[in-house]
Amino acid sequence: MSVAQLAGGRVPTFARRLAVRDPLLIAAGIVMVGILVMALFGPLLAPYDPNQLYVGPVSGPPSLEHWMGTDDLGRDILSRVLVGAGPSVFAPIAVVLASSLLGTLIAVASAWFGGWVDGVSSRLIEVIFAIPGLVLAVLAVSMFGKGLIAPIVALSIAYIPIVSRLVRASARQELAKPYIAALRIQGVGSFAICFRHLVPALLPAVLAQSTVGFGYAMLDLAAISFLGLGAQPPASDWGVMIAAGQPSLLIGAPEQSMFPAMLVVVTVLAVNILGARVTTWAEGAGR
Amino acid sequence: MNASVARQLLGKLGGLLLTLFLSSIVIFSAVLLTPGDPVVALAGGVRPTPEMIQAIKVEHHLDQPIWVQYLYWIGGVLTGDLGTSFVYKTPVVELIGPRFGITLLLVLYTIVLIAIFGIGSGILAATRGRRTDRAVLVATSFGVALPTFVVAILLIWVFGRVLGWFPVYGAGEGLVDSLYHLTLPAISLSVLYIAYLSRITRGAVVGQLHSEHVDTARVRGIPRGRTFRRHVFLNASPQILAISGATVAGLFAASAIAEQAFGIGGLGSLLTEAAARKDLPVVQVISLLLVILFVVLNAAADVAIALIDPDSVKPRRNA
Amino acid sequence: MSSYVLELDQVSVAAPGPDGPRPIVHDCTLRVRAGEALGLVGESGSGKTLSVRAVAGLLPDGFTVGGAIRIDGEDIAALSAKRLRAVRARSLGMVFQTPRAHLNPLRTIGDFMTEALVSVAGEKPDAADRRAQDLLAEVGIPDPARRMRQRPGDLSGGLLQRVMIAATLAMDPPILLADEITTALDVTTQEEVMAVIADLRRHRDLALLFITHDLALAGAVCDRVAVMQHGRTIETLPASTMRRDAADPYTRRLLSATLPGELVTDRPPAEEPVLTVAALRKTFQVRSPRGGREEFVAVDDVGFTLARGGSLGIVGESGSGKSTTARIICGLETADAGTVTVKGADWTKPARRAGDRRARARIAQMVFQDPYQSLDPRQTVRQCLSEAVAVHRRGLGRAELDARVDELLAAVTLTPALAAQRPRSLSGGQRQRVAIARALAAEPEILVLDEAVSALDVTTQVEILTLLDGIRRETGVALLMISHDLTTVRRLCDHVVVMKSGVIVEQGPIADVLDRPHAEYTRTLLDSIPRAGWVPRRRLPARTSALPTVATRTTRIIPGGEK
Repeated sequence: MSVAQLAGGRVPTFARRLAVRDPLLIAAGIVMVGILVMALFGPLLAPYDPNQLYVGPVSGPPSLEHWMGTDDLGRDILSRVLVGAGPSVFAPIAVVLASSLLGTLIAVASAWFGGWVDGVSSRLIEVIFAIPGLVLAVLAVSMFGKGLIAPIVALSIAYIPIVSRLVRASARQELAKPYIAALRIQGVGSFAICFRHLVPALLPAVLAQSTVGFGYAMLDLAAISFLGLGAQPPASDWGVMIAAGQPSLLIGAPEQSMFPAMLVVVTVLAVNILGARVTTWAEGAGR
Repeated sequence: MNASVARQLLGKLGGLLLTLFLSSIVIFSAVLLTPGDPVVALAGGVRPTPEMIQAIKVEHHLDQPIWVQYLYWIGGVLTGDLGTSFVYKTPVVELIGPRFGITLLLVLYTIVLIAIFGIGSGILAATRGRRTDRAVLVATSFGVALPTFVVAILLIWVFGRVLGWFPVYGAGEGLVDSLYHLTLPAISLSVLYIAYLSRITRGAVVGQLHSEHVDTARVRGIPRGRTFRRHVFLNASPQILAISGATVAGLFAASAIAEQAFGIGGLGSLLTEAAARKDLPVVQVISLLLVILFVVLNAAADVAIALIDPDSVKPRRNA
Repeated sequence: MSSYVLELDQVSVAAPGPDGPRPIVHDCTLRVRAGEALGLVGESGSGKTLSVRAVAGLLPDGFTVGGAIRIDGEDIAALSAKRLRAVRARSLGMVFQTPRAHLNPLRTIGDFMTEALVSVAGEKPDAADRRAQDLLAEVGIPDPARRMRQRPGDLSGGLLQRVMIAATLAMDPPILLADEITTALDVTTQEEVMAVIADLRRHRDLALLFITHDLALAGAVCDRVAVMQHGRTIETLPASTMRRDAADPYTRRLLSATLPGELVTDRPPAEEPVLTVAALRKTFQVRSPRGGREEFVAVDDVGFTLARGGSLGIVGESGSGKSTTARIICGLETADAGTVTVKGADWTKPARRAGDRRARARIAQMVFQDPYQSLDPRQTVRQCLSEAVAVHRRGLGRAELDARVDELLAAVTLTPALAAQRPRSLSGGQRQRVAIARALAAEPEILVLDEAVSALDVTTQVEILTLLDGIRRETGVALLMISHDLTTVRRLCDHVVVMKSGVIVEQGPIADVLDRPHAEYTRTLLDSIPRAGWVPRRRLPARTSALPTVATRTTRIIPGGEK
């Protein structure tokens, strides 16, 4: 028994009561719920039609009628933000789901079969990794035109290497452990070993990576929209709004850019806090 | 570095070259997957006559098999003929040339900022006690949530509207003026990466600080400064170097955002405009450039790591 | 009156916990005189390592120490941090179990050796270099100049251990703290290292605090032995009269565990062997240090038989090929040449299809060395055993499965209450029992034990070995025991095979091999086992005279060659 193991004491159970002792996690959770509500029910919650021009003054400050003010075309910023939450949130979710699924599949196959399967897929992964995600997205846009679809697909591919490397390393580590050899000697089938033992061992790490990856995906997609290559006006995707509001900054009307920007930052902050907790849990889950 | 390590390194570099080759194929194939007829795009918006179609096909080798087209393209890249822009009808080289320097300056400026503040704050967090560690942790937690475009608009608002300390538009003339103009863009690019590098550095340094060989050095009475340099930081540096290749390559790509926000006419903004207009040749060349950069930087990092830790290059025994 | 070099007076160590400090060491009391060797013996969790780390100042963050520690008469609690660092650096030499972890892998041996000399004792680099080479030679390392240029990765565990010892000698400390320094080494390498230490003690008048779980070893090389259990020093005995004077029941139990025990003499009737291995050969492709490809012959022309219901031990040190042989038999590796025959069937090639693997599983099973990693940490004991049973008995109902699991638990003397627990709440011995139960679920005829008890405490080892012997007698399963430890094999096996560097050096009935060994290697192996009256001998020539030391700020100067 090592000194470090003695120091750890009993393994903590991540029960609800522990979460209650963690106010940061609670705050992050509340924020996430709020954002999800916005994403799902935005159009229902919006007080005004987000695309209707001149419902208020041009570039007006926050007021009782317009809680977030109005943009340079007189549209209500709050309504636009609420409606824009959907694409801003679900697009990254799509990216993370796709990349985690594909990445895990490739990595498990790589680790399980080894040999040329591993060699070829590792090389493929490295090729994808060599092209920065933003560049893949830009490439996709120049092929298929602007909009969210091309960047989502491109980023899904671009994020595969991150997931795949992590999972492959963990899978190889796990497969080297004696209990896997014991299962083989027992006569347990390959499929069963893979799905009953290996995949559950990998899930915590994949989950942790996905949570953090969601934050990155959100930032990347918003950046692409900011560049004008993703969601297109008059859609009120947050990245588009931030870009459109840039000229207004200099005339003293920062709301158009600032509110969506704040929402992006707050969401990513909450996701990161969540991700850190999930990562800690994931590291303890294997013991 | 002895012969076997050198041999392993060469093997790794060979692998990187293979990756570069395969990536170039991927980039090239973008042309194939694009919906629509490239002939029409090359004709530039004018409905082409059959003679024009034929002429375009011959000029751009479109009647040849794919792999021949690829060879022409790669050959062109290697000899400096980077193709012709769909949109501008001028050689891509002329479009890229002047812009490359500006982007390079911006990225170098950013790298300096990232190196100083990222590594510096990471070391401070690891070595100066709980309070500093907490403070840096909070700062980096915010930092990783502040992408370039958010910092950019913040800075534009603060410095463009409120304080007038730095210019918020354009890239300036001459070195000093350029640096002055590029300060805000560099800051906006660097915040995220500073936070990221800070965490990596902190993790690597803390890992070494708690390692047994550092304990041994302390017990033997080796003075603190020497211990830190030769045992802690030296051993932590491979981890930091390992991520530097991908980070810098990502920086070049991310500069597009800063250039867009601050109206800088660099490589990144060219990339954005070209993509918006589906100007494939330009996008392809810039993409290829970035991949080359990634490969070169990774190779340099691998060499540096091998110099510090030759054993990392050797594969493990199987017995 | 002889002074005490080190005193621990009711020392306690507490770990930080969620509900306040958790005491792990309650009362460690011992005294070491100048030039004396004191053994500190205990099993895992006894607190012996923590006590010594408290002396050296190497406890993890948050740990608190109580009681008094005196180094060379000075109470360390009364010293300033700076003075304490200086005292520790000059008065304590500490050597650990895994030297590799304590050396910076990126720096050369020479750098490690000269570092303290240059930056603490203020020597010039050339003088430090020469001194370092002298020290390396003193501990028996051939060609010191070449070794100085190498990195830790280029040296074996035994060599590294000697390097660590040499480095501690640089400051000429009065006492050497040795924490399980030979536990990770082969028994022959252990003898070398102990011989080096014995020489050093003689020539430098060096005191020794020798921490180990091996009571026989401590009794053989130390003057006195202190026994710890559950954080307390129970009793301290003179080594020479240890067996006679031991009063505490725990000490007596430890002592009996070190005794050779009865040899297994009942042999099953000679019939068709259940396992026959012939002319087995296995090579691995490895990258040689020079960069080319090299063939490493792990197993070379190995052949033996295992009788039905018998027990065969395969003994060898690391690199002998014993584990590889076992893995080939169980189908985890493929032999390059030779045959493996089990009950008349050819098992040379591993089974590919699931059906074949299941069929083989019902004949041969394996228990592994590491109790912590041989079980899926996510499964409860019941889930693990149910899975093992269900592989061979498809379509069993819930109740029947549970009944069978309970049977298996009883067979390894585990209470059914443990069935709902996960491996992390079980002790090493309990986990190994679960692993054995899992192996028995297939009702095999051959049970391969790959160093199955090596990672357990001595008392637990005896329990498990007794259990295995009992299982063999009741069910008639044949045991194939792989071990580096002759005493383990002695307890369990009726025949033994001795391997070295991939070849069989000797084999036969256990009594014959142990009492009348033919091969020299077997004799060396037997001689290296610590027992009463054992004197470790060096096999390599080395310089044994003392060397002039640097005049440090203490007044201890040993003139060259005078002792």
